[in-house]
Amino acid sequence: MISRAFIRYVLTKLSFLVVTYLVSITIVFLLPRLIPGNPLAQLLTQLFQQAQTNPETIKEVYKTLMAQFNLNKPLWEQYLDFLARAIQGDLGTSIAYYPRKVIDLIMPAIPWTLALLVPATLTAWFLGNNLGAIAGYKRNSLFEKLVLTTSLVISQIPYYWLAMVLLYVFSVKFGIFPSGGGYSYGLVPSLSLTFIVDFLWHYTLPFLSIVLVSIGGWAIGMRLLVIYELESDYMVFSESLGIKESKLFNYAFRNSLLPQITGLALSLGGALGGQLITETVFNYPGTGYVLFRGLSTLDYPMIQGVFIIIVATLFLANFLVDLIYALIDPRIRLGYVQT
Amino acid sequence: MKLVIYLLITNKRFIIGISIFLLIVLIGLIGPLLYPVDPLSFAGPMEVAPCRRYPLGTDTYGRDLLAQTLVGTRTSLYIGFLTALVAISIGTIIGTLAGTKGGIIDEILMSITNVVLAIPGILLAILIASYIKVRSVEVIALLLGITSWPWYARAIRAQLMSLREREFVYLSKMAGYRDIELAFKDLLPNIATYTFMAFVLYINGGILSEAGLSIIGVGPTKGISLGLILQWASLMEAVRRGLWWWFIPPGAIITVVTSSLMIVSVAMDEIFNPKLRGR
Amino acid sequence: MAANLLSVINVAAYYRQQVGTSIKTIKAVDGVDLYLYEKEILGIVGESGSGKSTLANVILMNIKKPLEFVKGSVRIYTGNGFLDLNSMSVEELRTKVWGKEIALIPQSAMNALMPTLKIKRIILDVIRSHQDRINEKEVVEKAAKRFRELGLPEKAIDMYPFELSGGMRQRAVIAVATLLNPRILIADEPSSALDVVSQRMVLKTFYDLLRKNIIKSVIFISHDIATVRQIATDMCVMYAGKIVERGSTDELIRKPLHPYTEGLIGSIPSVEPGIRERKLKYIPGQPPDLSNPPTGCRFHPRCPYTMKLCKVKEPPMVNVGNKRLVACWLHVKR
Repeated sequence: MISRAFIRYVLTKLSFLVVTYLVSITIVFLLPRLIPGNPLAQLLTQLFQQAQTNPETIKEVYKTLMAQFNLNKPLWEQYLDFLARAIQGDLGTSIAYYPRKVIDLIMPAIPWTLALLVPATLTAWFLGNNLGAIAGYKRNSLFEKLVLTTSLVISQIPYYWLAMVLLYVFSVKFGIFPSGGGYSYGLVPSLSLTFIVDFLWHYTLPFLSIVLVSIGGWAIGMRLLVIYELESDYMVFSESLGIKESKLFNYAFRNSLLPQITGLALSLGGALGGQLITETVFNYPGTGYVLFRGLSTLDYPMIQGVFIIIVATLFLANFLVDLIYALIDPRIRLGYVQT
Repeated sequence: MKLVIYLLITNKRFIIGISIFLLIVLIGLIGPLLYPVDPLSFAGPMEVAPCRRYPLGTDTYGRDLLAQTLVGTRTSLYIGFLTALVAISIGTIIGTLAGTKGGIIDEILMSITNVVLAIPGILLAILIASYIKVRSVEVIALLLGITSWPWYARAIRAQLMSLREREFVYLSKMAGYRDIELAFKDLLPNIATYTFMAFVLYINGGILSEAGLSIIGVGPTKGISLGLILQWASLMEAVRRGLWWWFIPPGAIITVVTSSLMIVSVAMDEIFNPKLRGR
Repeated sequence: MAANLLSVINVAAYYRQQVGTSIKTIKAVDGVDLYLYEKEILGIVGESGSGKSTLANVILMNIKKPLEFVKGSVRIYTGNGFLDLNSMSVEELRTKVWGKEIALIPQSAMNALMPTLKIKRIILDVIRSHQDRINEKEVVEKAAKRFRELGLPEKAIDMYPFELSGGMRQRAVIAVATLLNPRILIADEPSSALDVVSQRMVLKTFYDLLRKNIIKSVIFISHDIATVRQIATDMCVMYAGKIVERGSTDELIRKPLHPYTEGLIGSIPSVEPGIRERKLKYIPGQPPDLSNPPTGCRFHPRCPYTMKLCKVKEPPMVNVGNKRLVACWLHVKR
């Protein structure tokens, strides 16, 4: 069942991922050193200014920074150090929250982000694909026009703005949902029912903002794919053999789903970006919120750390999706070469 | 060519979309002239809801929000347009080189493109923006363009490669046309329509991404854009304090602009792609 | 006298396209009469653009926009009575006719099978759409038997279409299309994209189907008269949306009546003595624009024997004896 072509496919994807990840790390490494204005120096100046208030801590911070950035060593040595540390998971020490390590600040936020990203994206993907498929199948119907127009508009609504609107309407005006955070003040995250219910209560609005906007995009894409599918030779032939309509729809849907799976992988990056910003609107304790705090204090190790971790997670997710795709599409699984 | 224009004009979707878009552009261009209130100076009492004196109310600093929104619209459109320009330029150059030269140049360029494509553009933009102390509107547009050209470059390359293979190109070559003539006569018209549509999509991307950068704190450091208005609103907890007139208009305008352009893009897709015409 | 299977009477179907400000009407099939009898292999021959593929769709009544059915009747004779296809709804056609009474093998049939489904699945779906309850094992066994009968390997059923070679895929398509033993099989350019050896095998498959009485008759559509004459018992020549001549293959080749047929046959290099003596001809000019066909006889601009009457009035289809039909003023007795 597993052919050589399949293994080749997997290895290609894997190596691409590793290369891209290394490139990302390299970019993170080079940026502060390349941008005119030497942000590093500016950082240090900032720290010295802060040092007026707390000389002890600042000396420590300075020492750590120097050690991390190894400004006294040649560039390539710095790079290798950086790489080695990054692979081991040491992404540096936060400046704003000194002496806590960046990785310790980011890690707890990741489950929150994933808890929002994965269900929201999958729900939107599922609902959007179904709506789009039906719209594509029932061309020139009222349903299609409605779905298309609505999708076109709502897919362009900025996630975070919709978040603001939802927050305003449902929280401030009508008081149905809480105004932010991941859970109520005073509760401790646990697996108890009270916590879960409270969490879901806080979770609803962020979830809705992401799902509502994303559905549109998937519906538009799926509609297009289904329209193309229906024109293909094998669809025409199957129909001429008298195959039932529901079966034909099933065929078109299945075949259109394959590129949508690839699309899922590609869209994760964009969805993540949008979600991070949405998290800040809700003060939702995910990675976006961490990034926001890092940006407001210009805590560079934090910013870089978030970038690297998110990129790593994304690539992993992409790879998983590619793997699933390879298993589902028989053409890849069995090594089909287009004749 | 005339046929194309005719088809465009008679397509309902296109007309609706482009009219809305042009309306907003008009508002952005002329609005600040017709309403010459300085968006950044103190205009009146703070946090006043919309009324006759202040059609969109005022913010926490007592500044006129209508003035802000008008100038903001102009700036956001400008940024969107610039971003599209940058992205299309880079994408066209790289895509064309890769598509027409082939061979090792193609491989190198495509590797670069694929890697940049894989890294989430907006994250990269946030990262780079955080290092730049002073971010002018143009710098932001440049940044957004640099992080978003890959998908277009790939598409252009794909189109060029498929066109290269097609018979009519072989025939033209056999008939003795030189490469440049070939490019202009046969390939460009096909690419042109796609480029136009991509341009529209990039304007959208630029406006939306700029707003995202602004809200999270790494937007332009000078000037006013719709995203910056949203940032100020969220910094002042406008949502939780019910100051709806502050954050609803900017976001609404973004939505209207981007969705009208989307409608235009879908209409153009239907026209240029006969398979999609809803017979 | 063999039983009548299909009666197509005065059928017309036009494509309506919006080009610029006006609607262009392409009269792809414009007043065609066709009769098909049992145990016949009827070849429909014509240039590209003559309307032959459209005719195939019309016979099946598989009409999709921008094609419109304008007039005429299409009637098939089933085991117990007849069905007027032009007055049936798409649903009825799907359940009662398509695949069951008539099957169509499309052009480029190699792409006719879903690449992501095993052939077994497609077979099951076809059967399931016409019979309410099926026993999967039985169906697969019967299909395997059928594949064997047609000289295809049984294990092909368990494979994906792309795993088969081009020729085999074509024959698999034919096997799938005829699973329910439709009485009429219409094949649109079934061998044009194949090498000579595969072509032979496809033709042999048709013969086998007929011999084993799986199907009753075949309509073989092609632009390649040389291939058609190898297999067809009778031939129809189509030009510009109309049928211009019909007769048994032998007679048509030996003694073509319509100038267009003469031109077609004259343009084939052949080693047969009788034909070799005639010089190699070609037909000057181009096929007409079907949105604005010539007045009178549609062939008159290219006909070497044009008369004044040809430009003015369309010649009727006349029976010149022995089931020979021709539409040409040359053969109409005054």
